[in-house]
Amino acid sequence: MSSYAKSILFALLTAVICSLLLTAGAAGLKKRQLENIAVDKKKNILRAVGVLESSTQISKQKIQEIFNQRIRSLWVAPDGQILNTTSVPEKSLPIYLYVEDQQVAAYILPINTRGLWGKIFGYLAIERDGSTVAGFTVYKHSETPGLGGEIEKEWFQKNFEGKQILDRSGDLVSVSIAKGYLPDSFPQDKLPNHVDGISGATLTGKFLSAGLKEVLLEYESVSIQFRSRQTIQIEEP
Amino acid sequence: MKLTKTKHFKAFSVPLLQENPISMQMLGICSALAVTVQLKTAIVMGLSLTFVLSFSNLTISLLRNVIPRNIRMIVELSVIASLVIIADEVLRAYFYDISKQLSVFVGLIITNCIVMGRAETYALGNPPGLSFLDGLGNGAGYGSVLISVAFIRELLGSGKLLGYQVIPNLAYEWGYENMGFMLLAPAAFIIIGLLVWLQNTLTSDG
Repeated sequence: MSSYAKSILFALLTAVICSLLLTAGAAGLKKRQLENIAVDKKKNILRAVGVLESSTQISKQKIQEIFNQRIRSLWVAPDGQILNTTSVPEKSLPIYLYVEDQQVAAYILPINTRGLWGKIFGYLAIERDGSTVAGFTVYKHSETPGLGGEIEKEWFQKNFEGKQILDRSGDLVSVSIAKGYLPDSFPQDKLPNHVDGISGATLTGKFLSAGLKEVLLEYESVSIQFRSRQTIQIEEP
Repeated sequence: MKLTKTKHFKAFSVPLLQENPISMQMLGICSALAVTVQLKTAIVMGLSLTFVLSFSNLTISLLRNVIPRNIRMIVELSVIASLVIIADEVLRAYFYDISKQLSVFVGLIITNCIVMGRAETYALGNPPGLSFLDGLGNGAGYGSVLISVAFIRELLGSGKLLGYQVIPNLAYEWGYENMGFMLLAPAAFIIIGLLVWLQNTLTSDG
């Protein structure tokens, strides 16, 4: 056999064996990985409303338990109605309600937006006044570690707490991520609608700002209900 | 013959200190800067690299007489890449939080010069047993530097070890403050520099 043919045959064999091994590994571990991802999402929902700190070590079962106790997973119909049923009309949006003493204390919107290198997934929690941000978390992204990747860090996410999605006159402006740190000279009346950005990651901030606004616009019909009623009772299913 | 004089023992112990991949050969510095903010991530990274390195050395050494010379690097890379992906998948299944913190750095073991370097310079020319030990030794050498650096950074930077508070609250009340600089990458650079200096001073003959 010529040396070329031998090389090609060897390369083919290596490729086949490696891919078989990888397929076996990936398939075998998939169930556990998916379970981890699901729990991680729940953890992030709880973090968004401040029930969990990111640093707390907590078992999977405990997260499930707190989640089941405190969070109701519901749907928003296109007309803005919050539905507690399993059969929902088309184009309904998922929403999570955070329940404290039988009352909704905050609502949590899933974020699914474009980043610089890939999609950014996370949660934005708004308090029951329909305007104050309770928290923000990111559970999956493809941004550059150390730059855009800082969006998953606590220092960045903490900045969102207490910010307003409405401006002084009551219009929806969302929360924008500034280019780098907010300067001291930043106008006071706009401060509640802006957070410190990440230097070196202006584009990630830009995309995320746009994404947050888009999500808030989608859910504006829900926010309006919260702003006018203040308290929303939900019946236990 | 004494155990410490055997070829096998040397294959393991020489890269541990005398020819340590980080402090002596200056390889794998990039990941050493990135994952040493916390002890936990450093330990997991050290273990992952040791796993990849020892098994890639073993596999390549077993194949060393059949790999066609003109495609040997590609074959080495596919073996290394497969092992790295397996390590990454296992971490994602069993240590999800840590794997999130390590983010791309586990995947980047593929490009870690230590792994490819050992495959090329050692595994291709030595029998499987020795190659495996050489991988273990290099991995342990890499891991031990990572762990030392992370120990200093986590202790001084956040007053913790493995996530547990070790600097008492009393110290903070008396005005002790965590060294924020330790949490940044340049701190690892300086610590590695000091370790190299220390090791050179201790081992130099003159």
